[in-house]
Order: sequence, then C-alpha cells, then structure tokens
Amino acid sequence: MPLRRRSVIGLTTLALLAALWFLATSVTGMISPGRFPTPGDTWTAAVQASVRGYGDATLLIHVLQSLKLVALGFAVSILVGVPLGLLMGTSLTAEALLNPVFMLLRPIPPLAWIPLAILWFGLGDTAKIMVIFFAAFVPSVINTHAGVRQIDRPLIEAARMLGTPRWRFIGEVVVPGAAPMIFTGLRLSLQASWTTLVAAELVGALAGLGHLLNLAQQDLYPGMILVGMIAVAIFGALTTALLGAVERRTVTWVRTAGEPA
Amino acid sequence: MSSIRFDAVNKTFGGGQIKALEDIDLDIADKEFMAIVGPSGCGKTTCLRLAAGFEFPSSGRVLVGNSEVTQPGPDRAVVFQQFALFPWKTVAENIELGLRNKNVPRAERRARVAEAVGMIGLDGYEGAYPHQLSGGMQQRVAIARAYVLDPQVLLMDEPFGALDAQTRVVMQEELVRLARRNPRTVLFITHGVEEAVYLADRVAIMTRRPGRIKEIVDVKSVREADHWEKCARIEDVMDRESFIHLRTHIWRSLREEKNGAEH
Repeated sequence: MPLRRRSVIGLTTLALLAALWFLATSVTGMISPGRFPTPGDTWTAAVQASVRGYGDATLLIHVLQSLKLVALGFAVSILVGVPLGLLMGTSLTAEALLNPVFMLLRPIPPLAWIPLAILWFGLGDTAKIMVIFFAAFVPSVINTHAGVRQIDRPLIEAARMLGTPRWRFIGEVVVPGAAPMIFTGLRLSLQASWTTLVAAELVGALAGLGHLLNLAQQDLYPGMILVGMIAVAIFGALTTALLGAVERRTVTWVRTAGEPA
Repeated sequence: MSSIRFDAVNKTFGGGQIKALEDIDLDIADKEFMAIVGPSGCGKTTCLRLAAGFEFPSSGRVLVGNSEVTQPGPDRAVVFQQFALFPWKTVAENIELGLRNKNVPRAERRARVAEAVGMIGLDGYEGAYPHQLSGGMQQRVAIARAYVLDPQVLLMDEPFGALDAQTRVVMQEELVRLARRNPRTVLFITHGVEEAVYLADRVAIMTRRPGRIKEIVDVKSVREADHWEKCARIEDVMDRESFIHLRTHIWRSLREEKNGAEH
C-alpha cells in the first residue's frame, strides 16, 4: 500500500478515536470526568505541565529525564546483550556456561529487581538504569543468540572454506547474518526499557514521566495522568521509529520489493 | 600435486544408525575432473563434504595432496548448490573475501577480482548485491569466488542444479572452457548424467544408500579419441554416437540402482 494512503488511514483512525473520546466525555458525559478526562481537561493539564510545571519540573524536564534513562539503560543493555548473544551463538562452551544462568534469571520479573536496586543505589538514576538493564538485556541476548543460530549453514561453511579468520568471521558473517534478529532483539529491548523505566519511576523517583504519573494519581488528577500516558506513548513510538530507521539503513539486503518498508 | 584420495572411507550418521557411505575407495588424479553420479540420497554430497573438511569419515581416510583433510580451507574451494553468497556483500566483496583472508595486497586483489568478474562476464555488476542478480548470475559469482583463489582443488556440489535449462547449458560450456584452459583437480557432484559425461574425465557411479562406488567410467579417452573438443556446442557433443553410448551405459547402471530401491 502506498505510504500516502497508509498515512491517511492512520490519521483517520486517530481522528475517529479523538472524536469518540470527545463525544463520550465532553458532549454526552457518558464517562464522568472523574474517571476519564475530557479533551479540554487534558489540554489544560498539558499546558500546565509544559508552562508552569508539575511535580517540581516542567513536562520537558520529565520527558528529558525519562529519555535519558531509557537511552542509558538501553545502551548498557545492548552493549552487554548483543556481544553476549554473539558469544553464546558462536561458542558451545559459552552457551553451556551461560544458558543455566539465563534459565535462572529469566523467570524473575524485571520489576522484582526494583527493591534491590533501590537498596543499592537509592532513588537516583543508577538504580533505574540497573532495573532497565535487567529487563532489556535479556531480549537482546536471546534474539542475538537465536539470530546467530539460524544463519544459513552454507554461509558459515563458505566462510570457513574461504579461510576467514575468527574476528572477521564474526564481524562480516555472524553479525550481518544475525542482524535482522539482532534488531528484533533491540526493538524488544527498547520496549522493555520504556516499560520498566516507567514502572521504576512509579515506585520511586524525583523526576521523569513515571514520577509525573505517580503524582497525578496521588492528586486524583485524570487530565495529568493522561498527559503522562500520552507522553510515554509518543516518545516510546518515536524512539521505536528511530530504531526502525536505523535498521532500514543498516540491513539493506533483506528488503525485497513488495515487502512493507 | 593435488590428488584426492578416498581410502576405505565409511561414514555413518545419527550415532551409527544411518550408514551413508560404505568402503569408498576413489582416486582422483591431479588436474583430473571427476564427476560422481548416483541416486538421490546415495551420499555423493557427503563425499564432497568429506573432501571439503565439513565432515569427517567414521573410518578410513580422505587425503588431498598427501595430507589428511582436517578442516576446510581455501586450497579446496567449494561451489555450493545454493550458491551461499553473502547477501550483505557485493559481487566484488564476495569474490574478494578469500583473497583478503589470504592477505593478498590490495592492488593485486583488485586486479584478480576484476579478472574473475571478467571471466564470468559480469563486468559492471561489481557493486550489485546477490539479491539483485538472477540465479545464473549468482552461481557465476560463486564460481568466480572459488576460481579467484586459484585453488588446487575445486569441489562442486550440483552447482547447476538450481538453474534453468538454458542457463545451465551456458554455465556447462563455460565450465568446460575454464577447465580445459586452466585444469584443476575437480570433484563434481551431480545427478545429471549428461552433464557428468559432458564435463568429466571420469564418472563414478554410486549405489543407493549405503553409498558405494559401483563403477567408474572413463570418458576422457573416448572424448579425445572422438575429438569432442571440435564441437563448439554442448548439443553437438550430445549428438555424437560415443557420447550417447556412454550416457546410455551410465543411465542403465543408475536405473538398476533405482529399480533396486523400489523392490
């Protein structure tokens, strides 16, 4: 489907949802403003948060704080996760060594690390980065590992037949061969970063979108709650789109005609 | 000197459950073109994989030159049935990788890649990616990637199997030209009897599984006696009485194997 047509359909859906929202709250009052804010309330809350600030900081500061933590947590996760996945995919010894540890760590919900993180690092950034790391590096490892494992065997044999030395083999065969799966892992890691960040900020933080959401809940302020949620949605989507753009620039060889770009 | 020698080779898979090869004794002389034909699943590809160093015999030895095969290497270039080009590398980069691995200086690499690209008639496609090429073009790149290494031994696993009929004929004629101009020790796996007779010096016929060498047919002496090299085209060769005779002989031998499988 052409991009233009898809954009039109997408925008129409959003406009319809907004209209429904307006109808259900402001016009008919089917949903009381105490449960779900009207568009007007939300706008007022957005303006308030942007201009005067809410919870000791403006919306921009909250957003920047959250973005910073997501970026740092995500970066640490993939810097550890992708090499670990490559190692497990290319070395049976590493796989045998690390797999049991993973089996043990995986069932622990990332949020269960929050108490320990706060105990170690307090309410500052480090605790949140640690929690994000525990949530986000797992999908990077698993998908990178799987990506390496599913590289066409003839490609690996061709590389060996051509006498490719180990580091070149990893850099020029394994990494590009696993790249589509690595990016799948990165996308999941990014999602996990946002999810855990907001949760971690909900539990204890001095700034950030989760902190804003938590305050708005304590203040019984539905408009502000929605502002926080919309901000998470927008920046979550933006960072995902950014990652998608990086992937399209990097993995140019798998896209074929007719496939959605 | 790069002969290939299978010395009493047995190969089993699945912890000894499946017997793939049984007592393979085969000597391929230096610069000889040997084709192996056989019913599907007879283990002919396994023979090639043993020579390549991707697999190892359960018993017996595989020698290339005078040393036992212990690992894959650029002295034994492989052309895979499914091409196995790196999709993220261009034509030139695919052909160049083996030379880089051998630490060939950049200027020489460039010259040799250009020569190889010219040989396969893909000038102007150096910067193309495999997915932008047709199957025949991809297979030519795979052949160039093997040839550019100037390997003593060339291992080809049904290299034309995935090509359409016309492209296959062109590739076969090209391979004959290359093989006569610059002879190598070649082990060529195919299920195409005509292809085997057209290309090879000798054709080894394998039995159905467990694969054994049933018969080795000498083509070279017939080819030279009947002057096939005077024929410009594959169909002219295929019209010759001597060709038909050899082909029919091999067909019959294979047919016995296939019938045996049905009973």
